[in-house]
Amino acid sequence: MNKKIKIGILSFAHMHGYSYAECLSKLENIEISAIYDDNVNRGKKISKKFNAIYYNDYKKLLKTDISAVVICSENTKHKQLTIAAAKEGKHILCEKPIATTKKDAVDMIETCEKYKVKLMTAFPCRFSTISKRVKQILDENKIGEILAIKGTNHGTMPGNWFIDKKLSGGGAVIDHTVHVADLIRWMIKKEFKNVYAEIDNLYYPELKIDDCGILIIELENGIFASIDPSWSRPNKSFPFWGDVTMRIIGTKGIIDMDLFNQKIVVYNNQQVKTNWSYYGDNIDMEMIRNFIDCIVNNKEVPVSGIDGLKALEVALAAYKSAKLKKLVNISEI
Amino acid sequence: MLKVGVIGAGFIGNCHAQAWQNVNNAKLLKIADIEELKAKKVAQQYNIEYTSNPEDLINDKNLDIVDVCLPTDLHQEFVIKGAKAKKHIFCEKPLARTIEDGKKMIDICRENKVKFMVGHVLRFFPEYSLIKQQIDAGIVGKPGIIRVSRLNVFPVSETGKNWYGNFERSGGVIFDMAIHDLDYLRWCFGEPERIFAKGLGFTEKYQQGIDYALIVIRFKSKIIVHLEASWAEPPQNGFNQEIEISGSKGLIHYNMKEISPLIVSLKQTSSQSAGVNIPESPLKQNPYSLELQEFINSIIENREPTPTPDDSLKTLQLALNILESVKKGEIINL
Repeated sequence: MNKKIKIGILSFAHMHGYSYAECLSKLENIEISAIYDDNVNRGKKISKKFNAIYYNDYKKLLKTDISAVVICSENTKHKQLTIAAAKEGKHILCEKPIATTKKDAVDMIETCEKYKVKLMTAFPCRFSTISKRVKQILDENKIGEILAIKGTNHGTMPGNWFIDKKLSGGGAVIDHTVHVADLIRWMIKKEFKNVYAEIDNLYYPELKIDDCGILIIELENGIFASIDPSWSRPNKSFPFWGDVTMRIIGTKGIIDMDLFNQKIVVYNNQQVKTNWSYYGDNIDMEMIRNFIDCIVNNKEVPVSGIDGLKALEVALAAYKSAKLKKLVNISEI
Repeated sequence: MLKVGVIGAGFIGNCHAQAWQNVNNAKLLKIADIEELKAKKVAQQYNIEYTSNPEDLINDKNLDIVDVCLPTDLHQEFVIKGAKAKKHIFCEKPLARTIEDGKKMIDICRENKVKFMVGHVLRFFPEYSLIKQQIDAGIVGKPGIIRVSRLNVFPVSETGKNWYGNFERSGGVIFDMAIHDLDYLRWCFGEPERIFAKGLGFTEKYQQGIDYALIVIRFKSKIIVHLEASWAEPPQNGFNQEIEISGSKGLIHYNMKEISPLIVSLKQTSSQSAGVNIPESPLKQNPYSLELQEFINSIIENREPTPTPDDSLKTLQLALNILESVKKGEIINL
């Protein structure tokens, strides 16, 4: 029997960590052997659940015989944890956004290259059966030349450290832009050129952080795209967490994609609000499976650190554009 | 009873001819089109007079109102002629292709003391006016992001003389589609402050029969609007309109395609080659009748109509600013 591959999880600050841990625990050849969290209570509780050893010092965790780590800390802590893990020779799956500044992201990428470890950015939307189908249709040139794209990643306001700029690097725009930006770049294989954005704090003025915005992006070949990353779904009444949608306009046709629109509508007297219950494929599971496959079979990761950086640059350019009220070239970031 | 003549028997002329049948205190008596057959067809349907000479209609002493349903670049000529003949003027949107034309039309209507209204019909769609009522009542709290879409196939006029296909004449999706939403948005949210837009109007794609635009407008009231206007839809997509208002307390969403109070589905028969589904959303007075009713009421009550001519001029200015942003690739500060 093959020896199990040991994985460590660094922080559960980001709620996606729970989902990734669930996915890992379902894989036969995987053992979540170590968990670090600077929130002791949270770390101990989850360690117990997944039968892992809890560490309050990530440096000690990184000295153990784990092969890889999954990093789900607050955004600004990604760099420190990634670089420490790389130096100990551990492969890394890092939650998005890869970092909160270009410099941090570049440092992370270079360090991982230097220590020859894999760095994968967690963009689970690429692993959706629906988005893969869209990419296939585009690769088959079914809708002709791509002219424009309209994208959204709406959500509810997540609260917690997401609204503390020191930990998150920004609000809705950095949180949500990166998913759609990455899907666009991956699907149509073109790089971003410049960004215009209107960004504001209109839904929750007490938060003093951006909760809404619209980006218009120009890509190579004059293709233009819009992204709406707003936390615009009303927290108490909206029936779902949000959406990831793309409308792709081609010379020969149009693709309308609504990534999580595999749902049933549920009315329940105890819950009062209507609920959309999702029955589609588990995109986190597909992503985790891919990451593990790359480690086991020493393959190149399907979503690199560079991919994470390219998506981050769009969000950073958006903030700069909104501040200066100017069109911002990606090269200026 | 106010007596009405319609100039233009194309898509919107047919639409108005039908709508006039349902307007109180008004009666459609005549239709004009330089293509006589088109005018005749409408005339027979509603049992009215027809002429191939618009001047005949304009100078018809029996008529009180001229309803101009012509291509955008012809609005100016016929509105001015009608006003000088002392007719009240209803004109299909957009007001004109240039601000100069628009101002001149408004001035001449004023000088001749005739009422003038431009057909920004979206204000008269009950779903859109209900949305405004709910926003005004505070249902969504303070509005943040507004998303609107207006989608259709690239229009082709049945005679093949396709003025829509001439960007200089029609102004493409921004002038023909987005203009509806621009008027509605100004009605709901006041005046814009900053614009950035991307579109295909000035590219060779337009010549190939595709237009598409994505527009961002920051209003003085801080709200941010995302506007999609498309003439890029495949035929089976057909027309659609959609709006989403999100605010500090809630969200309102309307998508025409999700609304289907009545669908008639017919099986294939010998006279009908394929089975078809025809969706309908019947109302006692459709939005076109309602806008024409507002015009009639403004004449009877001797007041300005809603939208006022100045509203239509401001909406035209906004559309021109958007076009400028698309053309220059620049942010337009107003």
